[in-house]
Amino acid sequence: MSEKLYAFFLRLYPAHFRQEYGDEALQLFRDRARDERGFFPRLRLWFDLFFDVTVSLPREYLHLPAPRTVPSALRRLPGIPAFYVLQDEPVRPGALFFGGVLSCVALTTCWAALNQIHRPETPNASSPRGPSYGAAAPRHSDSSSSRRRFSAYRSNRSFAPTQPLGDSERKRIISSVADTLKQHYVNRAAAQKTADTFLVREKRGEYDDISDSAMLAAVMTDELRDATGDRNLTLDYFSSPLPQQASAQLPEVRAQYRNAMKQQNCTFEKVELLPHNIGYLKLNSFPDPEVCRVAAMAAMTYVNHADAVIFDLRDNRGGNPEMVQLLGSYLFDHPEYWYNPRETTTEASWTHSPIEGNNLADKPIFVLTSKTTASGAEQFAYDLKMLKRATLVGETTAGAAHSGIFYRLDDHFGMGIPEVKAINPYSANDWAEAGVEPDTKVSATNALDVALKLAKNKLQKK
Amino acid sequence: MPKRTLDPLPSAAFQILLALAGDELHGYAIMRQVAEQTGNRIRLGPGTLYSSIRVLLENGLIEESSAREDADSADERRRYYRISSAGLGLARTEAKRLADVLRVARSKKILRGRYV
Repeated sequence: MSEKLYAFFLRLYPAHFRQEYGDEALQLFRDRARDERGFFPRLRLWFDLFFDVTVSLPREYLHLPAPRTVPSALRRLPGIPAFYVLQDEPVRPGALFFGGVLSCVALTTCWAALNQIHRPETPNASSPRGPSYGAAAPRHSDSSSSRRRFSAYRSNRSFAPTQPLGDSERKRIISSVADTLKQHYVNRAAAQKTADTFLVREKRGEYDDISDSAMLAAVMTDELRDATGDRNLTLDYFSSPLPQQASAQLPEVRAQYRNAMKQQNCTFEKVELLPHNIGYLKLNSFPDPEVCRVAAMAAMTYVNHADAVIFDLRDNRGGNPEMVQLLGSYLFDHPEYWYNPRETTTEASWTHSPIEGNNLADKPIFVLTSKTTASGAEQFAYDLKMLKRATLVGETTAGAAHSGIFYRLDDHFGMGIPEVKAINPYSANDWAEAGVEPDTKVSATNALDVALKLAKNKLQKK
Repeated sequence: MPKRTLDPLPSAAFQILLALAGDELHGYAIMRQVAEQTGNRIRLGPGTLYSSIRVLLENGLIEESSAREDADSADERRRYYRISSAGLGLARTEAKRLADVLRVARSKKILRGRYV
């Protein structure tokens, strides 16, 4: 270790010194280290070495030997370039100045080029919905982190190669992307134009260098977004084969889901009344109302006479938007516009408030969040926050809006395509990518304690 | 950049010349000899030692000697140095100069102690 350290110091010396005396200097260090054992001798050794480096290093650079140019190179013949050995030549001030200017120009060019490649993105971006509820699909690559051009990907060593891609397969996928886009994308004109561009580029051979499936997905996602300006468009690659139809629609999957919900009490992990008559609902997903409507209603009835209600969504990764809306409906005494990034504005976009016999419309509401709170759970938190109906306590949420509809292209590729343009009445951007900021930022583990304190204070003030 | 000069003779270079006045030595032996002859006041580090050796070689004050017959296998790889006649002359001149300095110091009675 100590020898390595000294070898590092030696590297600071000019090349001619290292070549001539590097080995001997190291040998001298070894000799001293061998002979000077014990704490104090070793301390003295290192003191000597530091002192020696400090004194001799500047001197070596100040007294560099004259440049060793090869005599033949000095006899320059007209029209023939000559090369000089410059290794040990002292650096001239002029050369330093021009080197500095050249470095500045090179750095500025690089910076400008990088800016061109990595354009600033609009924050209203999101990931697609998976083949089944929310984030349940096994996604091979995270599209949110895959937003650079092919050239940038190619130079990025951390990009792990996946499935190799043949020429005909790549052609088929690109053509499939173009067709699906034209068929489903909400902006038909942009879809047509983008699809045509893809096919032209493909014919020109611009994608020929891409021989990796995940890389194709990442590059195409970038191009889709650049062409349309829509951050919700994605092409995703899945390493495990996708089912033939959306898994949630398969009868056996439905049966399994129903069974699982029954066993898990529709993911209502806790429904309790805490001291000070504070209702507490720990809900770990927003289950399908077709299966869990009764359970949800029972839970809400249980806390109906509470003076405040805490919705604990810290372990909630989302689920069915209708359930999100159903639970939201209990918190208003009149229909309230309920923003869902996946839906256009219709009559169904309003909460079903008021709900008969419900007492919670004017009660203080607290929502607990964590950094893994995602998708539908974020919608619940976001909408209540924007409507100033709840106090959010915890961490900033995951930022998964899942506003695209998933389309299966083949066994391994799928696209997230927004079929609608939802109107967000609250703000320009929803929680996509940025997540929902809590009103009171505390760690997820402390969120319940803090929310209980806040609820208690609020009730005492009444 | 200015080439290092030996006028005045740097202390390290003078000590190396003195160390080599007795025998041919390799780098570590020179360092030890210098430490010994200065009562451990000067412990030459590798940077100072070899940069001084380089300057002394360039000025023809010391020479690199060929491999020694009595050296063991580890020592065979080391380079040995010996003082040249020019080096011996310079060391002598420097010693005289210091002796003159010493004489002046004595006459001014600024030195005390039995060793002077």
